Amino acid sequence: MKPKALTRLVEIANDPYGCLAGLRKQKQVIGSTLADCPEELIHAAGLHPFLILGTNEPIRHSAALLPDNACSLARSNLELVIGCQGNFFDGFVLAQVCDTTQHLADIWKRKLPHHYFENFLAPRQVARPSARAWYAEECRRLRAALGRYTGREITDEDLWRSFRLYNENRALLRRLYAIKEEAPALMTNREFFDAVKVTFFMDKEEHNCLLKEVVQWAEQEKDRRTDGDGYVKVIMAGIVVEPPSLYDMVDEVRGTIVGDTLCTASRYIYHDVEVEGDPAEALADRHMRKPFFSPINADVERVYTDLLTLYRRKGAAAIVYCHIKYCESQDYDLPDIKAHMREEGIPFLELETEYQSTHLSQMQTRVQAFCESVIKKGAT
Amino acid sequence: MGAKTKETKEKQSAKELSKQLTDAYLGDARTAHEQGKYVAYTTAVSPVELFVAHDIIPVYPENHAAACLTKRMGTELSLATEQKGYTSHLCAYARSDLGYRITGKSAKGGIPDPDFLLACNAQCFTLTKWFEVLSRKYQAPLFVFDTPQWISDPGARREIVRYCVRQLRELIAALEGLTGKKYDYDRLAEVMAYSRDASFFYRKFLDMAAYKPSPISIFDALIHMAITVYLRGTPQCVDYYRTLCAEVQAKADQGIGAVENEEFRLYWENLPVWFKFRDHFNLLKSYGATILTSLYVHAWSYDFDTAKDPLVTLAENYVSVFSNCTLEERAKMALDLFQRYSLNGSLMFVNRSCKAISFAVYTLKAILAEKTGTPALIFESDMGDPRFYSETQIRTRMEAFLETLQRNKAQGA
Repeated sequence: MKPKALTRLVEIANDPYGCLAGLRKQKQVIGSTLADCPEELIHAAGLHPFLILGTNEPIRHSAALLPDNACSLARSNLELVIGCQGNFFDGFVLAQVCDTTQHLADIWKRKLPHHYFENFLAPRQVARPSARAWYAEECRRLRAALGRYTGREITDEDLWRSFRLYNENRALLRRLYAIKEEAPALMTNREFFDAVKVTFFMDKEEHNCLLKEVVQWAEQEKDRRTDGDGYVKVIMAGIVVEPPSLYDMVDEVRGTIVGDTLCTASRYIYHDVEVEGDPAEALADRHMRKPFFSPINADVERVYTDLLTLYRRKGAAAIVYCHIKYCESQDYDLPDIKAHMREEGIPFLELETEYQSTHLSQMQTRVQAFCESVIKKGAT
Repeated sequence: MGAKTKETKEKQSAKELSKQLTDAYLGDARTAHEQGKYVAYTTAVSPVELFVAHDIIPVYPENHAAACLTKRMGTELSLATEQKGYTSHLCAYARSDLGYRITGKSAKGGIPDPDFLLACNAQCFTLTKWFEVLSRKYQAPLFVFDTPQWISDPGARREIVRYCVRQLRELIAALEGLTGKKYDYDRLAEVMAYSRDASFFYRKFLDMAAYKPSPISIFDALIHMAITVYLRGTPQCVDYYRTLCAEVQAKADQGIGAVENEEFRLYWENLPVWFKFRDHFNLLKSYGATILTSLYVHAWSYDFDTAKDPLVTLAENYVSVFSNCTLEERAKMALDLFQRYSLNGSLMFVNRSCKAISFAVYTLKAILAEKTGTPALIFESDMGDPRFYSETQIRTRMEAFLETLQRNKAQGA
């Protein structure tokens, strides 16, 4: 029987913004966007950081501010912020990674002039020493800006505490991922990725408590489960997986996700921050070590070589690529990725989705047909 | 240069000079490898001076793509790109360029393959991703010159410039590695002086739109900007804009306008619809209207301070281009043009190809309307792909807008 803690995590994942309302009574709530923002700094300032991950509600407000060829994550985030759910937030620290996020930051700032707002100008190159130095410099600027906002200087001790808490969280999630890989029947893909997703919303200490219970249960159960055969090992590639029912589709065909390149999973949970030295440098080191994290890389072949390495290291049978429609980064990368995977003879399924996708049966059929063909080829 | 040649050159019009310079530049670029020179692809807004000073020939896939789009090759080239799996949502420059590489079809006889690529992201994120594709194709190194958004915080700006200067040093080291040649900073100082002077005359040319009637329209600016894009840092570029300024000044002195009976002086937001260039000019002309300017053509109005370290003034100028500024700052820049050029309306183009500029248009329109009280028309289309241009709908909307201007003017009178 699955532990109550896991059920609780899944519940929160299904109503992520709901948990912010309660938290706001204790702390100011600060939103950030995917991948590059050092949340530890916001946490150390005594604020509650959360990741703005869009909404599946229909678009009503943002259509007047962004054309329909903006990616659905951006439109959906804008909808969330300027719609009624914006009432949950006190401010934003927005990392800019592409043209769309840059404009989004400007529009939010204008639309919500009374909210706290800070840019985090993450480097959009990662290959050279200047990138690391710049990331550290931006961390110092953000640290000072948050201190001015709260009226309280963020001490190094505040930061070490936050780093330790976040490192513990990442370690628990990594352990759970490893157990899931070892014993795929223990939990569904949806359950695992829900447990990861809530880290972007919940109080970290509370999340760690729930995770500890789940990990403890998983450690005890993993050796008892003998029904792990017959699963197809899958790599989930992309930035985010939306709608989350895609995980259910993989579950339905007995696919088990053993590795990923997602901003909402591996790019977040891999690598800890060193709890020594200059905190800004420590954050920069982590940023530079994160796998698959940059949509731009001077080593231009990494878009497929990283994926290929992961696929081989995990002994996977297939790669499923979740393509968020109108994401320019993915639009430019995908033809070369697909061509390369074809050359290597790797089963590769691209699923183009949007945040507001509702007609999922066609996608379900594609996932089923793809997995059947992989299984027929002899994958286990 | 001999006296005879000089005399001949002085007699040449800017139009003749433009053709001569373009042919010579393309000839040089195409024979670069035979001459033992390197070819670097670069983005239109990028510190090209570093290439010029190191005898590397800069080549602009954007310019080549714009030429193809103006010749209405956009759909054909895009289709070839889409057949390779790219989506029709991508920038038309990129689709056209990748299509050229598949089909070999070009409006200009093609451009040489790159030995090196430089993507400056002050313009957009798209260019970097497009150049990544080219870098993979040609197995040529890509250098991303990362320009963080030019936010208004003075402390942040100082650090941004430091970061950019540090990257320019990294770029110079990469160029030394490519050519095996030590970088010549004295030569860079000379190139910077040419760039400073060319930018001065280019800006002076654009600012002649302040005359009433304006001797130039944006269509003139779009034609004449090509030289500063690809020949910045050369004496020929300075001569060209000096000649052009003299010609346009003569027109202004005689009161010759770009359109007869100029009544409406308009602002244009975004890049042009390249394949509708002339049609738009003619339609507007029939109403006594003309578009005078846009932030886009001012993107090359640099103000290099050669008293500073060349890398500092390069960083300051390239990071602060309008497309890399905050929306507030961009609105201020547009308002400055409204004031200086006495503009009384806007055509605001939401360009499917250019997210970097277009995603701000709706908000920018609201700001401009509020601050200037002038009418604006927003329309959506694509700068290079006629499949996304709805001829009748856009024409009707433009006509209705122009009629509104006429009605407002009549009521005001």
